[in-house]
Amino acid sequence: MAVTEKNILKRLYFVAGCMFIFALLVVFKLVNIQFVQGEQYRGLAEKRTLKTVDIPANRGNVYSADGSLLATSVPKYDIRIDALTPTAKNFKKYLKPLCDSLAKFHGKTSGHYQKAIRKARQDKNRYFLLARNLGYSEYLRFRGFPMLNLGAFKGGLIVEQKTKREHPMGGIAERSIGYERFDEDGNVTRAGIDGAFGEQYLRGANGRRLKQQIGKGQWKPVSDANEVEPQDGYDVYTTIDVNIQDIAHHALLEQLEKYKADHGTVVVMETKTGEIKAISNLGRNTKGKYYERLNYAVGESHEPGSTFKLMALAVALEDKVVDTSTVVDTENGILTFYGKKVRDSKRGGYGKISVAKAFEVSSNTGIVKAIHNSYKDNPKKFVDGLYDMNLQNTLDLPIIGEGKPVIPDPRIKNGLWSGIALEWMAYGYNVKVTPLQALTFYNAIANDGEMVRPRFLREVKEFGNTIEFFDKQVINKNICSKETVAKLQKLLTNVVEKEHGTGNGLYAENFSMAGKTGTAQTEYWMPDWDENKRYISSFTGYFPAENPKYSCIVVIHKPDVSVGYYGADVSGPVFKKIAQKIYTDTPIIDAIEDLEEKHVSVERSYETYYDVAKTYKTIMPDLKGMPAMDALVLLENMGMKVRLQGMGKVVKQSVTSGSKLKPKQTIVLELS
Amino acid sequence: MQLLFNNLKGDRLIWAIAALLAIFSFLPVYSAASNLAYISGDGDTFNYFVKHFVHLFLGFAIMYGVHKVPYRYFRGLSMVMIPVVLVLLAATMFQPETSESLTNTRRWIKVPIVGFTFQPSTLASVVLMVYVARYLSKIKDKTVTFKETILPLWLPVFLVLVLILPANFSTTAIIFTMVMVLAFLGGYPIKYLLLILLSGVVAFSLFILIAKAFPDAMPNRIDTWASRIENFANGEDTEADYQIEKAKIAIASGYIKGVGPGKSIQKNFLPQSSSDFIFAIIIEEYGLIGGLFLMTLYLLLLFRIVIASHKADTIFGKLLVIGVGIPIVFQALINMAVAVELFPVTGQTLPLISSGGTSIWITCLAIGIILSVSARRQEIKEQKEREDNPLEILSETI
Repeated sequence: MAVTEKNILKRLYFVAGCMFIFALLVVFKLVNIQFVQGEQYRGLAEKRTLKTVDIPANRGNVYSADGSLLATSVPKYDIRIDALTPTAKNFKKYLKPLCDSLAKFHGKTSGHYQKAIRKARQDKNRYFLLARNLGYSEYLRFRGFPMLNLGAFKGGLIVEQKTKREHPMGGIAERSIGYERFDEDGNVTRAGIDGAFGEQYLRGANGRRLKQQIGKGQWKPVSDANEVEPQDGYDVYTTIDVNIQDIAHHALLEQLEKYKADHGTVVVMETKTGEIKAISNLGRNTKGKYYERLNYAVGESHEPGSTFKLMALAVALEDKVVDTSTVVDTENGILTFYGKKVRDSKRGGYGKISVAKAFEVSSNTGIVKAIHNSYKDNPKKFVDGLYDMNLQNTLDLPIIGEGKPVIPDPRIKNGLWSGIALEWMAYGYNVKVTPLQALTFYNAIANDGEMVRPRFLREVKEFGNTIEFFDKQVINKNICSKETVAKLQKLLTNVVEKEHGTGNGLYAENFSMAGKTGTAQTEYWMPDWDENKRYISSFTGYFPAENPKYSCIVVIHKPDVSVGYYGADVSGPVFKKIAQKIYTDTPIIDAIEDLEEKHVSVERSYETYYDVAKTYKTIMPDLKGMPAMDALVLLENMGMKVRLQGMGKVVKQSVTSGSKLKPKQTIVLELS
Repeated sequence: MQLLFNNLKGDRLIWAIAALLAIFSFLPVYSAASNLAYISGDGDTFNYFVKHFVHLFLGFAIMYGVHKVPYRYFRGLSMVMIPVVLVLLAATMFQPETSESLTNTRRWIKVPIVGFTFQPSTLASVVLMVYVARYLSKIKDKTVTFKETILPLWLPVFLVLVLILPANFSTTAIIFTMVMVLAFLGGYPIKYLLLILLSGVVAFSLFILIAKAFPDAMPNRIDTWASRIENFANGEDTEADYQIEKAKIAIASGYIKGVGPGKSIQKNFLPQSSSDFIFAIIIEEYGLIGGLFLMTLYLLLLFRIVIASHKADTIFGKLLVIGVGIPIVFQALINMAVAVELFPVTGQTLPLISSGGTSIWITCLAIGIILSVSARRQEIKEQKEREDNPLEILSETI
């Protein structure tokens, strides 16, 4: 096999030539891909790799008037484990420590978890739930657990974050603070303030970010900034006062529990401005516990009963067809119209009494008679009178689901009007209003005839800057003449103040209240009413009586009649409690004159201290008689160590005065 | 620096090409690293940069060291190294399976103490080529029978190939091809070569049959090759197709000028974007211009290898240069051919450009050997000149 150099080279050129041709082929193919097939592949490039991701905006917070947080969004975490991911070695090694940690966290046994997770691994469960709705700090704790701390790819940790709306004040006013909730079909439930102002203020606008795929299921942002920045929702400052809210909530709750009532509501409103200071709605669940169930104050229209006598008298007084001194005959306490009877709660009635007294003792027959006598020929006029005081209108609240008032009108053929409609309206039947509507009317009386709209919102802010401010809204500048208002105010005051008044049980010497009790039968149309009597007990009024600051309504539905059912007994105490607490919580002294009152002995000891500190630097001063506090500071400033024995002033020092001190020398001071 | 430069022996152009390739390699490796860094979460791409730099630095140290060794020593060294390589390959093949990664585990061996992984098959190819070159040069003046060559030549070759085959078919095929080319160049009778080719095909078929009969023995590699080759032939939609499509999208989006350094999108989707499919990513980022530049560098290297072989003073030298040089260029061309779908997916790296220590070091070793041969030639020339006319040298240096 004779091999010559020439031979090798010849063959080498051949091989190199082949490779060169191969290289040319590669280049040819390359150019072909770029120019012939280029368009197609460039089109694919975009389609496959980019997507737009929504960045949810942070929902604004809901605050109380004083800035307490009522509703806020917090991140919550669900922790799961992919039971297949950990290697057999890791699984064996870390399962027990992990389960020990879990057991400690949840309070179940470690064995329980070991069994469950083993089973999950056996069943090839890659999505085994370990904990739900963890807060951030709990979530961090979980991340540190054995096995889970190996991360997603080795430990099988799966974390899902979601945002939850929380009410830091707990169940208090929960229903009125509300929520905005979306179900899977995209339907939305909006309750309370959070729901009402969600779209307008709280929600904000979602941002957008362009992301590029970097492998299976992983996306990275294309640029540093978001394509559209999310616009966080505005914060909403409500008119709710947490203190009053707290008082109202607990006063109502206590009474509901006492009377085993079905549900009840309390609203406290600032007279001048219409700001809702507190709104509490408690309903009973099947277990007999009360919670913020529905917004009864806003949503529930019902027959108000005696509360409505104020509205009836307001119309009559305004029309000057009745005066407070007009005498009516209560006729043994029973009146009959078309076979239907109006009864007084007091058997035998009150005889012949003035309209004022009829109101104060809440005589049904007295008020009905007065209205019947005045309007029987022209009931339209009475209805118009109610209309003039805006009683037929809703309050146009932002909160969804306000109940509509119902007032029968002889001109409207809707089946509501009847021969007895006028008389029954006079004492609060056949008409329906919501507690908030009734309160608004009472508030107007307290506010000298100016009817203001109840308001839940004070301000809308973004990062502490006011975006929108809400002012008082007047519904009706004068619902009736000043004269009428004055008369009605007097009547309401008398209900509490006069001994015969139904609200006299609320009377307190040191502060004044005004209001009207209401004890309305409800569900009386049902056949079982006689054996199972049901009432709506209420108290509506304002305080202090002479210069009203707040008005308040308390409505309690279906109290246990064996315990009691009169408005004065059931709802009155709630009202009183709220009024009293708000009243006593208001400071009587506005400001303290001078906090910096100089005390002679303090002055003197300071001067001695100052003198000694100036003179002595390295020589022991005479500290006898000096307060321990001063002596200590003095010596330590000189760089000494001090040990104190006893309390009070220095009586003995371990180093005599005038002797030279070494740095960091310990000096013992005896005190007495 | 100056001193180091003066100490560089051998073909300066080869040095220059190697250096250019090394410098160029930072761009795609650094770019591909951005995703690895993003996924791993620490966002630190600098690590990858440093790692690649260390790989290259060690590679060039190897290159420098090897080129200082007179190439005649490689003769004997290859004899010693063959058993070492065989042991290493066997150790790799029979190492216990680790669960860290499901694919390719049996291509790598972990070096104890240092802790990095190493691919013995790459080393084996260089050693084998040197061995074959040695044998061919040894028999250059003899007439050999086929039988005579079986034991000293083909037995080691087949042993090496058999040990690589189960884990890495494409490398086996390339080494086999290269050995055949070298034997052809070295004047080994063509009829014997055909016989070897035939027996190679038969052995391979036999291997497939055995593997199919005992599927547990050779986990899933064979299916991969089968599907890759089938897929190349009929174009069904499989994972390899997915890779190829992405590579083509990358090439198409690069167009003439490229999208710019680090801006590649397809690197996110091409598995092995910093090694197997790096050519596609280079074209995406640097365009046709970048691709052609790289191609030119490799062809220039081929040209210099031919020159070095031409100038080599002995037959062994010539064959040595060819034996270790041609595979570098061949592998580069295969890698490029895969990216443009001229060749089925093989998993061959782009020498000196792709990240990965073993590939870089072995390429540097090979280039070091070539330089050693060309340095010898220089030496002889200088010696001659010194003997001939010292004045002439003087005038040349001035």
